[in-house]
Amino acid sequence: MSTRPPTLREKHRYLLVSVEPAGTTINQKDLYYTISDATTSLWGDVMAAVIMPAVVAAEGRYMVIRCRRGTERELAIALSTITTCRDVRIALRLVAASGTIESLRERIRTVKTPITEDSVPSECTFEKTVFQIHQCDGQKVDVIEKGFKNTNRLFLTREDLEEL
Amino acid sequence: MKITDACVCPYPCGDSSVRRMALEAKNLGFDRLVAADTPSGEFYGIEVCTGIIIWSTPLKDLINRVKRERNSEAVVSVEAGDNGFNRAVISLKGVHIIRGIQSAEKTAFDHVAAKMAADNRVAIDLDLSLLLSGWGITRQRAMHRFRDVLTLEQRFEFPLTISSYAHSIMDMRAVREITGLCSLMGMDIPDVEKAFFGVDIITASPDPAVKVIR
Repeated sequence: MSTRPPTLREKHRYLLVSVEPAGTTINQKDLYYTISDATTSLWGDVMAAVIMPAVVAAEGRYMVIRCRRGTERELAIALSTITTCRDVRIALRLVAASGTIESLRERIRTVKTPITEDSVPSECTFEKTVFQIHQCDGQKVDVIEKGFKNTNRLFLTREDLEEL
Repeated sequence: MKITDACVCPYPCGDSSVRRMALEAKNLGFDRLVAADTPSGEFYGIEVCTGIIIWSTPLKDLINRVKRERNSEAVVSVEAGDNGFNRAVISLKGVHIIRGIQSAEKTAFDHVAAKMAADNRVAIDLDLSLLLSGWGITRQRAMHRFRDVLTLEQRFEFPLTISSYAHSIMDMRAVREITGLCSLMGMDIPDVEKAFFGVDIITASPDPAVKVIR
């Protein structure tokens, strides 16, 4: 089958989103199903067929999501309703929208900040409880209670740790 | 006028410290947070106001609680109940926000309550947590209830506030995303801006009833 000429092809737009919290590993396919479910739930089958969301690339915590041109707003609203992906709590933060994947890759290179873990200890105490530092990104520090009873993640800052 | 999230619940109610929520709010485009049961302060350039949420208690206890908080700087929110309860709460001096109207019964907020809210400058909160985490009929009901509130707001012009009711930084949404979600209920950008500035309206000192001219 020969490829269609450019004028007859469907026009797409690409949204760059970052996955919160940092360090969460998500399968591209799982995220696709989550986005598809969220879009269908919010806009219905008819609009979801028009939007046609698809996860086309992943670079670390950044994902590139494709939609049909003119439906970026609808997809962005649907993305904001996503709270879990296969029982893992996540939030998708919209970073940029573009007509090409390459420009979004360029954007990823400019917004990427180095993770600084060197000056933070591996353990800390907060509210008289010992926590293990799970992720540290600039001012943001994510901790998990030490032990096997409670594995809930707490979201703190460096200043919270300094108060101890 | 500051873009305000009218209710967040930091640690220990939620899993994020108030500083972390302030940092996240800054990245998301907010200027101020109303944090439940948290001392006021300023973190990373974000003003954090103390918020007090009063759940459905007997009216007598509620009146005593509101009286105690009247001289504080806290933003007092009361969870909506039935129509009679809401009318009584709106007429109380010291109550700033009625929240949870989407979970109250259908007749909880009518045109009489709307007129009273406009006269007493009591805001109705649009809690977006159900739109974000809700699904199917729950979300549809919440959207329907908000549309009903917005119809009354256009007629009587009582203040509105927008809150994420976030217990975690992952429940917080950017200003642009909230604008998008509000557009689902028929709010345009000026309406959303007005609602974001709702906390400024309700906490400003009221115009005096009598003006002294010398």
